[in-house]
Amino acid sequence: MEQLLAVWVDALALEAPDGSTLRDTLSLLDALDAMCPFSEAVRLGLFVLPLRGPSRFFGGDDAVLAMVRQCVLDVVGVAPQLGVAEGLFCAELAAHREVIVPRGASDAFRRAQPLEVLGRKDLTTTCQRLGLHSVGAFADLERARVGERFNKHALTLHRVARGELSELEGQRDPRLARRLAQLRGEEEFFDEQQGFFGQRGASDDRAEAAAHRVRRRLGADAIAVASLRGGRGPEDQGALVPWGSPESKVRDLAPWPGRLAAPSPATTLAHPAPVQLRDAANRPVVMDARGALSAEPAVVLFSSPLRREIVWHAGPWPLVERWWARHRRRAHLQLVLATGEALLMVAESSQWWLVGIYD
Amino acid sequence: MFALSPPRPSLSPELLARVRPVALAKSRTLPLGEPWRALVPDAGLRRGSTVVVEAPVGLGGLSLALSLLSEASAQGHWAAVVGVDDPGVVAMVELGLDLRRVLFVPRPRGEWAESAADLLDGVDLVLVRPPSRAGLLAARRLMDRVRERGTVLIALSEPRAPWPLPADLFFRVTQAEWVASSKLDARYLTVHVSGRGEAQRGSEHVVVVPNRRGRAEAN
Repeated sequence: MEQLLAVWVDALALEAPDGSTLRDTLSLLDALDAMCPFSEAVRLGLFVLPLRGPSRFFGGDDAVLAMVRQCVLDVVGVAPQLGVAEGLFCAELAAHREVIVPRGASDAFRRAQPLEVLGRKDLTTTCQRLGLHSVGAFADLERARVGERFNKHALTLHRVARGELSELEGQRDPRLARRLAQLRGEEEFFDEQQGFFGQRGASDDRAEAAAHRVRRRLGADAIAVASLRGGRGPEDQGALVPWGSPESKVRDLAPWPGRLAAPSPATTLAHPAPVQLRDAANRPVVMDARGALSAEPAVVLFSSPLRREIVWHAGPWPLVERWWARHRRRAHLQLVLATGEALLMVAESSQWWLVGIYD
Repeated sequence: MFALSPPRPSLSPELLARVRPVALAKSRTLPLGEPWRALVPDAGLRRGSTVVVEAPVGLGGLSLALSLLSEASAQGHWAAVVGVDDPGVVAMVELGLDLRRVLFVPRPRGEWAESAADLLDGVDLVLVRPPSRAGLLAARRLMDRVRERGTVLIALSEPRAPWPLPADLFFRVTQAEWVASSKLDARYLTVHVSGRGEAQRGSEHVVVVPNRRGRAEAN
């Protein structure tokens, strides 16, 4: 993950009714933009810029920090709080604490924080009753346990705590970029920054700049690249990872023993959907210990109203994985529905999951 | 009518030199792979054009649209995929895309058109699947942007939420049929291909997307 320099300007955090806050934010953003074209106003009071490029250009991290400090003093007239860490979540914390987290230490930094930094009071109190006081302790909880005890929102926080997501929900103000563009008189959002990177020659640079623009518009995890890894099913082998994250390096698709043969589904669900298979007599179809089906599947039930007739199926092909964990028995099943759609299912401990759609 | 029109005056040599195209036709199109090359005018995707792929849900529209990207991607062009929330990465490899040069915006929320417009500045092909019916204004702005930037937009739509404007090239899936042995082997898609100008009337073809190696091929 890239190192970010976060700039916290307390004086700009609360919007004044006369519109001066927004104007100052815009002039500061423009000033920072002159130093680093990827500077970003995350929300009122918080600015970030990637550190690596400017640091190389201006000759070191300290030089950049000094310049940014001076820049804020000149434009707003107050000293900012500066912090450096990897990922937006850690970078903002670093700015509030005014620390420079060395490269690679952001993980430890995040884990050492008190739970309050996740910004959820109910979660903090419940976890403290469980004896969990730091972000790291919360991150070490099993994902399934968090899901049992808390709501969906907590699962997102859990991912932030584990470092799988680099920013909190609501950390970014999605409307700010447009409000600033409006203030600048560029109400036509399509023209925002057009031609700014036009002089760059290589197509890679152009693509990178476009990716930065999308990220600025929608948030750090909005733009992704594909990554490949080993696995038995297409749903395990490929995944999207945020652009710029360490795992975003694409690897070759090595032949994996026992992998499902081509063609693979054009849609693979990152979060498989539970479904039910029924036989002609409307009894649930289950897979026994030897990987055989209890009956021919005739109908697939998605959520209760959605019910589709199965005209063909193949499998199940057992995935012999983690043979030491006996309870973990998985198998693939392909279905063709009467509507012409083809689906890929996985059976796991008597539950069927939709993992892929050949759409 | 043309027989009656007066003979054209010949152009002066300097004017001829000025109106001669400065770019080769080849650089004005992006490469298309099999089987599409034989089915479209110019045997490629004309820069500045908008391609619409329309298919009922689950009947191969996504595979078809991705297969249109594959040859250009394999030859080093950047591509982006907007609004496809759970793309089958392995299927894309099988279709021949080079994933090192593909950007994804899986969940653009309400800002799919803006995200696509951002990406049109930086990549050569953008595949977009609007989350709902695409608005006329958003579609027109995107298509104008495509023309201006000389890129290619591939819009994926459904019959019940069609792309609101006529496309330069239009692929309509009318039928999908799976061929299976002990597993799913290949899907035969009946595709109606039409466009502007010479291709306006359109023609119907049966193509295999994907075949048993996961690629697209002619029947």
